Amino acid sequence: MREASLTVPLFLNALEQTGLSTWLRESESIFGFYFILVFHTIGLALVVGPNAAIDLRILGVAPEIPVPALRNWFNLMWLGLAINVVSGIFLVLAYPSKAFTNPDFYLKLTLVGFAIWNLQRMKRQLFDDATQSESAMFAKGRTLAVWSLVLWAGVITAGRLLAYTCSYLVYGVPC
Amino acid sequence: MDFPHLHLLLNHFPIIGTIVGVGLFLTSLVAKTEDVRLSSLVVFVAMALLTIPAFITGVGAQEKIVSDAGISNDLIQRHEGSAELSVWFMEVTGALAVIALWQSPRRRTPVRWNTFAILIFSLLTAGLMARTGNTGGEIRHSEIRSAEEGTAADSALSHFEPSPAKFTRLMIVNKWWWAFMMDMHFIGLVLLIGTIGMLNLRVLGFSKQVPIGALNRLVPWGIAGFGMNLITGMLAFIGMPTFYSHDIAFVLKIAAILLAVTALALFYVTGAFRDCEALEPGEDAPLHAKIIAGTSLVLWFAVIVLGRYIQPLQDSIAR
Repeated sequence: MREASLTVPLFLNALEQTGLSTWLRESESIFGFYFILVFHTIGLALVVGPNAAIDLRILGVAPEIPVPALRNWFNLMWLGLAINVVSGIFLVLAYPSKAFTNPDFYLKLTLVGFAIWNLQRMKRQLFDDATQSESAMFAKGRTLAVWSLVLWAGVITAGRLLAYTCSYLVYGVPC
Repeated sequence: MDFPHLHLLLNHFPIIGTIVGVGLFLTSLVAKTEDVRLSSLVVFVAMALLTIPAFITGVGAQEKIVSDAGISNDLIQRHEGSAELSVWFMEVTGALAVIALWQSPRRRTPVRWNTFAILIFSLLTAGLMARTGNTGGEIRHSEIRSAEEGTAADSALSHFEPSPAKFTRLMIVNKWWWAFMMDMHFIGLVLLIGTIGMLNLRVLGFSKQVPIGALNRLVPWGIAGFGMNLITGMLAFIGMPTFYSHDIAFVLKIAAILLAVTALALFYVTGAFRDCEALEPGEDAPLHAKIIAGTSLVLWFAVIVLGRYIQPLQDSIAR
């Protein structure tokens, strides 16, 4: 207990004591913690699902799909991203000590950052320039598509590992 | 209706259905009739799916009767071991049948390696399923016991059959193995939604410039994702069977999966896909195709939602 109070910053404890955080953690309602988790998973499916499909297309699967027609899919991905930013904030709010004391949490955020950056580059280089030839587009796209698959797989893995690597469940309570 | 009822209702399908499937498949090989071959493949896929709830309800049924007078736990364990072996052969047969169904409109003649593989696996499945049925029947019916016990085939098979307790322990003994399975389960989910989900969305009218026939070429990746999830899901269930069978969200999730797969199958067999394939880019899909696609999409997302409500899983295993 004493050791714990030394290693975990106090403001995380304060955050955990707020009504919202306590409710998210302890509520028996189906709209509590697992409801947020549902949204986080749906958001994941909406971002990574279409992006993986675009990657596969660029890497040569389903070659009859006209790539420019997939432009609309980015709207769906931005929607998924928005859902996950909001639901992610709520998840951290429910267990702030658990998140901020876990190195894997920072790894995940970093990977998310790179994956989104990569996604934006893909949008700009492949979809926003209508004048380029298809072969030029695919030459540029291959690397981005491979990175996209690697980064999102990393994000999912790091995210999944959060459940298995924490050192504190809440302030002063080891996992 | 409780687990013993459901188990008795479902457990005859994999046994009789596989035998019917083998019969149809052999007929199609001899008579060279494509329609009969396709029917046998559909039967194999349907049986591979029905085997899952048959297996799952077995765990619930076991809990209900294990303390009854005259019930031998050894016999139940033997039945469970037999089931755990035949389930995998059944799922492989189903996967091979899906591949054959995918190949069918694209090849003039059936692909030889797959025909051979289906023949071998369906015959093995039929045999293993019969044994599973027999060992299951012996739990309640003392009059049929011991007829073939001690025969060479019996002892050889029981050598390969997993001991349910050991198999269960193997799945949960290492939390990193469990974490890996769950990771794969999420990656499978992403593949499924990214391909089959996007196909459904297109049929509903999203991104209409994408031709549905072209998009359909992504579907095998979605089915591969489903396969990953089926394997990791079954392994997780074997790891903590009673935990899952007690959870209403899990039972509903399995029901939703079976319905979602049915919706996907209906999309192809009702001709909805053929109607969609003929559309020009930008054209609206017909109403019946939209109804199937909408139902399918809702069901897949219901699977995600219900899966997340299988509650204390993370906490209990991560600690």
